[in-house]
Amino acid sequence: MNSNFSCKTCASADQKLETFISNLSVDTSHHRMEGQSVKCGFGLQGICCRLCSNGPCRITPDGLKGVCGATADTMVARNFLRAVSAGSGCYIHIVENTALMLKKTALSKGVLKGKVALAKLAEIFEIDETDEYICAEKIADLVLADLYKPDYVKMELVEKMAYKPRFDRWKELGILPGGAKSEVFAGVVKTSTNLNSDPVDMYLNCLKLGISTGLYGLTLTNLLNDVMLGEPSIRLAPVGLRVIDTDYINIMITGHQHAMFAYLQDRLIQDDVIEKAKAVGAKGFKLVGCTCVGQDLQLRGEHYKEVFNGHAGNNFTSEAILATGAIDAVLSEFNCTLPGIEPICDEFKIKQICLDEVSKKANAEMKPFVFEEKETQSNEIIDAVIEAYQARRGAVALNMNADHGNDDTLTGVSEGSLKSFLGGTWKPLIDLIVKGEIKGIAGVVGCSSLTAGGHDVLTVNLVKELIAKDILVLSAGCSSGGLENVGLMSPSAASLAGPKLRAVCESLGIPPVLNFGPCLAIGRLELVATELAEAIGVDLPQLPLVLSAPQWLEEQALADGAFGLALGLPLHLGLPPFVTGSPVAVQVFTQDMLSLTGGQLIIDDNAKSAAETLDAIIEKKRQELNI
Amino acid sequence: MKRIIIDREKCDGCLNCNIACISAHEEGSNFYTVNLQSPDAETRNFIKFDAQQGYLPIFCRHCDEPECVLSCMSGALEKDQLTGHVQYDETKCAACYMCVMNCSYGVLKPDKQTRTKLIKCDFCDDKPDGPSCVKSCPKKAIEVKEVSR
Ligand code: SF4
Ligand code: SF4
Ligand code: SF4
Ligand code: SF4
Repeated sequence: MNSNFSCKTCASADQKLETFISNLSVDTSHHRMEGQSVKCGFGLQGICCRLCSNGPCRITPDGLKGVCGATADTMVARNFLRAVSAGSGCYIHIVENTALMLKKTALSKGVLKGKVALAKLAEIFEIDETDEYICAEKIADLVLADLYKPDYVKMELVEKMAYKPRFDRWKELGILPGGAKSEVFAGVVKTSTNLNSDPVDMYLNCLKLGISTGLYGLTLTNLLNDVMLGEPSIRLAPVGLRVIDTDYINIMITGHQHAMFAYLQDRLIQDDVIEKAKAVGAKGFKLVGCTCVGQDLQLRGEHYKEVFNGHAGNNFTSEAILATGAIDAVLSEFNCTLPGIEPICDEFKIKQICLDEVSKKANAEMKPFVFEEKETQSNEIIDAVIEAYQARRGAVALNMNADHGNDDTLTGVSEGSLKSFLGGTWKPLIDLIVKGEIKGIAGVVGCSSLTAGGHDVLTVNLVKELIAKDILVLSAGCSSGGLENVGLMSPSAASLAGPKLRAVCESLGIPPVLNFGPCLAIGRLELVATELAEAIGVDLPQLPLVLSAPQWLEEQALADGAFGLALGLPLHLGLPPFVTGSPVAVQVFTQDMLSLTGGQLIIDDNAKSAAETLDAIIEKKRQELNI
Repeated sequence: MKRIIIDREKCDGCLNCNIACISAHEEGSNFYTVNLQSPDAETRNFIKFDAQQGYLPIFCRHCDEPECVLSCMSGALEKDQLTGHVQYDETKCAACYMCVMNCSYGVLKPDKQTRTKLIKCDFCDDKPDGPSCVKSCPKKAIEVKEVSR
């Protein structure tokens, strides 16, 4: 908690970070939270509509319908589907870029580091091709062809990728997605003024978007990236503000599209570039991880030991990372790149370059990534960063925090690396679950936010409660950025787990919270869940497995959540996703979903009671499986 | 003695004060869960819109010389000399609504459902953290101030 009474930054689960931020002279999100503490009640309940000039309409005791006659149920559903569509659009943009990148890499016979991932995709897609470039190109083409289908033509890879019982259920429900980009379009049209007013239809539509988002935006983005950038492998790595090394020219990366850095990250450690750095007094270049693309780099860190110094923190740590004064440039290609970094970059003379048109920052240089020009573009970026380094180092005070974070976060966990860690089979994990040594699995995923108690407060507290109940936690997203910085992903965190889980962790030398990296890796969790279900011979909703996005932040998280519900998993959220003004929404999400997909939404901002609810669900599923 | 003081210029008609008031009178509810569609949902403060003057927050003034109290013949309305608040006792109310007619600010109304009791600001029962409406106003258009009478 804040001990400095003169400052009003919000609480953080990360005490060292909280102190660091409360002493900063620059304004951060943590400072702005207080000024935004009064929230609009209509917004929180999702019952404000501004789809036409008769509005904005709000549901009040004296106005139970909008001017057009829209009820609270209609308003909430329209708002929600709009948000899910936008969130899906974000992820589909990412997978589209990634697939294009793979195609171009294949055509130009570029570097393909992930042979295992390539073979795996070829197998799933039923491609029989020995030439790895032709194979990669075919994979990319199949993905792109699906993404670009109209909404009335179903995507073909869904059946190949989805778990059979799930696919069948989705088909029965009529929620198999058409072309993923068109589905976003359909979601936007459906929710425009005086079109759809049927809440149930719109929630089913959300599930459909959840499927396209999950299988393509999440799962495939990971695998396509693995082909280009290498598969994750398990290792211990440093995290937190300590990873920033002032001897180097430091580039902070933010976004979600690791492939955009594929060429640059190799270029930065070539001799001539290092010489350039040395000529201005630095030892070389380092990439400092922030947000999900940093998590992705950390996940594949085994392949990038030289250029990557570690993951410094999640989205709401980005302002603090810059405020150390030791970052010379920010390369951003997507969210979650906060507008709040802009004035800090100005003040600290930090060069900002945006690599994707969709995420231009107001005061940044726009340099849309062009595959064919990556060599010249990278050289231009390097020169611009060197220029910034020269102008600012010495002129900007350093405010380092070598104490923040730790050196032994276990990273690189993926569906592949975890399975090989277990000896190439899921059996050891299944045995531990059956014996009750591990009671169940909780995927604690999604974002970081400053609500629900403060920065990562609910996430960290919930995870502590879950592991104390012998529930193994797998994390993906900015949640993992918070969890790693507070030490929950270090092997020593085993001491916080319940006696059984603790014994398992200690014998294997692993922490009770496994770091799958970026939010995209929610797709990897789905792969793990599916493979476990397959091995046991049950459907996903039967597994002693729960999902939680305790501090979900944005529209993408809602699309992820829709995927979780489509998979039939119980999904906990700390705060409601702006739907509580609609009785139908509450009914659909918390009750009817159980009979639709097997999923269920649980809303609870109290770590203890939420953990108890999730624990009870796991216990119930264990009983139903007779274990 | 505490009163809610209104700064009309600052009000932007967001109605958060309405939600807060309804929530304050729905046991256990919060901004997420308060049921605005319930027949019981009644706000004790009002925002009127006037094309010339903009938004007009209408709140009980807990008047120094309360017309409502003066017009109440059954003793259901009383000015508490200690807190300065004008209090309503439902058990004594005859539902004659003389108070509704006489309130200088038009803030009083009978309840929608039964029309047998008065809907009136209770200053949130003097909760230690202050009136709910004031806490919820993003514009600080309503604030609690200490007054002598
Ligand atoms: S679409 Fe209907 S509810 Fe929305 S602003 Fe217009 S009249 Fe109001
Ligand atoms: S003080 Fe309480 S009862 Fe009175 S108007 Fe404000 S919220 Fe309503
Ligand atoms: S109800 Fe009207 S008259 Fe009575 S105290 Fe309130 S503002 Fe004054
Ligand atoms: S909360 Fe404040 S700004 Fe909003 S309507 Fe009420 S008095 Fe006006």
